[in-house]
Amino acid sequence: MKKRGRLEIIKDILKTMQESRNSIRYTPLLRKSNMSTSKFNEYYSELIRKGLIIETKSSAGEKRLSLTQKGFNFLEKYKTIISFIEEFEL
Amino acid sequence: MHSLIQGIGVELIYSFVIIVCSLMIYYSTKEMYELSSYKGIKYFRQSFLLFAIAYFFRSFIKLLLVYSGASRILDINIKYIGSITLFIFMFFGSLAVFYLVYSLMWKKWNNRSNKIIKVFYIISVLISFIIITTQETLVFIITSLFIFAVSIFGLYLTHKQSKEKKKKSSIQIIYTLLFVFWILNIIELLIKFTYMYQIIIYLSSLGIFLVILYKVLKKTGSN
Repeated sequence: MKKRGRLEIIKDILKTMQESRNSIRYTPLLRKSNMSTSKFNEYYSELIRKGLIIETKSSAGEKRLSLTQKGFNFLEKYKTIISFIEEFEL
Repeated sequence: MHSLIQGIGVELIYSFVIIVCSLMIYYSTKEMYELSSYKGIKYFRQSFLLFAIAYFFRSFIKLLLVYSGASRILDINIKYIGSITLFIFMFFGSLAVFYLVYSLMWKKWNNRSNKIIKVFYIISVLISFIIITTQETLVFIITSLFIFAVSIFGLYLTHKQSKEKKKKSSIQIIYTLLFVFWILNIIELLIKFTYMYQIIIYLSSLGIFLVILYKVLKKTGSN
């Protein structure tokens, strides 16, 4: 099986969140990401830091994760970005 | 007088179009980079920003040549302005070439990126310093050919890599032409070409930048 690249992993994480009606808890997201906890935490921190995802609290006080507008934009532009990288061999 | 004004006009239009193309490439890839933080896109964008700065100073040198009545950059009588402009032009130009080659190769040396970028800066400063201190045509040509050799070697390595992956790509050819005409743009400051050759160099350089811009806009979907 081909190893996923960094951008593909980010896309998969964001896609999972989008498919969960843009509200998911940390543990199910970790499970669905098919990554080790330490690797997942690296991506998780990066996504928070870059403003692609945000932590929110539900009415029951539960910590949940949602995509920001930037996160949605990433998903929308993902194919364009990949196609650009391939075209210019970046 | 008429041909002088015509010459300045050609220079200004040429530089203006190349600078606009470079800046359009830089800004149309801004969103992609902000979303992805992908290093290859970062180096690619920076290269075109540096080309825009280098071409701006190149046009400034050309205007100095016209103003001072000299035919070659090394004969400019406004010594300090000429030397400083030449230094900035060579520094940004060399760095632009290195960044563009590195945008194709960064994955190989990802862990040493910071060191490699520092080396690019050091080499660019050295090249520019050697040129302005020696003020020799031969040194100027040798250093330009050195930049060219390094860039072609980098392109050769990436071409070999894409061949192994059986990927078909025209980008190495476009970049090779870009570097060839970049060197001709430098040599044109040293040796007085005929008007005809000058126009051929300018049109070819413009064509290459426009092709790259077209490819970028096609991929980014920018208007």
